[in-house]
Amino acid sequence: MKSRTVSMAKRGFNFETTMWIFTRLSALAMYLFALIGVIGALIMGARTQMNMADLIRWTFMPNPNHVLNTNVADLVPWSTAFWKLTGSAFVFFAASHGLHGVLSVIEDYLTHPGLRKFLRLVVFVILVVMTAIGIYVLWTS
Amino acid sequence: MQVTIKVFRYNPEKDKKPHYETYQLEADPTDRVLDLLEKVKGYKDGTLSFRRSCAHGVCGSDAMRINGSNKLACKALVHDFGAKITVEPILGLRVIKDLIVDMEPFFDNFRKVLPYFINDDPAPEKERYQSQEDRERFDDTTKCILCAACTTSCPSFWASDEYLGPSAIVNAHRFIFDSRDQGAAQRLKIMNEIMGVSRCHTVFNCTLACPREIQITKAIGEVKKALMTGSLE
Repeated sequence: MKSRTVSMAKRGFNFETTMWIFTRLSALAMYLFALIGVIGALIMGARTQMNMADLIRWTFMPNPNHVLNTNVADLVPWSTAFWKLTGSAFVFFAASHGLHGVLSVIEDYLTHPGLRKFLRLVVFVILVVMTAIGIYVLWTS
Repeated sequence: MQVTIKVFRYNPEKDKKPHYETYQLEADPTDRVLDLLEKVKGYKDGTLSFRRSCAHGVCGSDAMRINGSNKLACKALVHDFGAKITVEPILGLRVIKDLIVDMEPFFDNFRKVLPYFINDDPAPEKERYQSQEDRERFDDTTKCILCAACTTSCPSFWASDEYLGPSAIVNAHRFIFDSRDQGAAQRLKIMNEIMGVSRCHTVFNCTLACPREIQITKAIGEVKKALMTGSLE
């Protein structure tokens, strides 16, 4: 069988394709961040025998406020730039992954070009605002 | 056996809205649903309208919803449905009369994917050679009979008939992966548009509905993969 390929320039690479790939990769990224979160919490919370609920809460939102009311005595390891960066990336991927899902539903059901463009803009604004608020909370707590 | 067949009826010249009519028929378990419709039309109510042609699962004319699933009436046997059978037109297309729908949006989408052989090289003296292995690559999608059972079972197509739909993508696949064809880039660009493969959410209704048992969702996945990698292997 002879090899047949079509170059990127010829087959086109647009927003649909980019977001199709991004949505899949962002899902994988979230699994990775959740894994990092659960391993980190297990290591940091081992001495205080952190319970399951607190562990899971940290896994999906590594915000030091979330361990403030637990029996964790020293908050310093939970407040490092590493965890803030991890949390920020998690917020960004979760918001963009979820909102691309919303966008897919909009584009499935709405065909009017003007309305579709407007709702794309609304989704983009929600993405920026949600991500900004999430990151602000993470870096100021 | 005694069969009760409930049929969707709509005559736009007489009816304000669609309704159902029920007919009692004597049938053999091995009769086809098409046979029942023929009996209704021949002996009970001559105004019943439906499409049929070859009556052997080849022409794809008589796709309809039988007990909620898209089937070819000529391949659907009574014993698979029992004594109560409901027959309705396929979804997502405008009903013209009774079980007949307007297939134009479906064929418009079919035409969009350039469903014909493209090769600008001068015709060779004997043949455009293709190995058995190369032919095998797209064998499954050559089986499509354009009955629309897949496309009209797809929720994305119900939402908008601008979506190319499974059948059009299957027919694009048939040529994209044909080693002799030179139109893959054009077709992939069409697949890449907003109403192309992105609207497929892998629901698998199409695969279940296909009377030719084409692995449609797999074929759509292969087109998506070709879009990502550019490889037509």
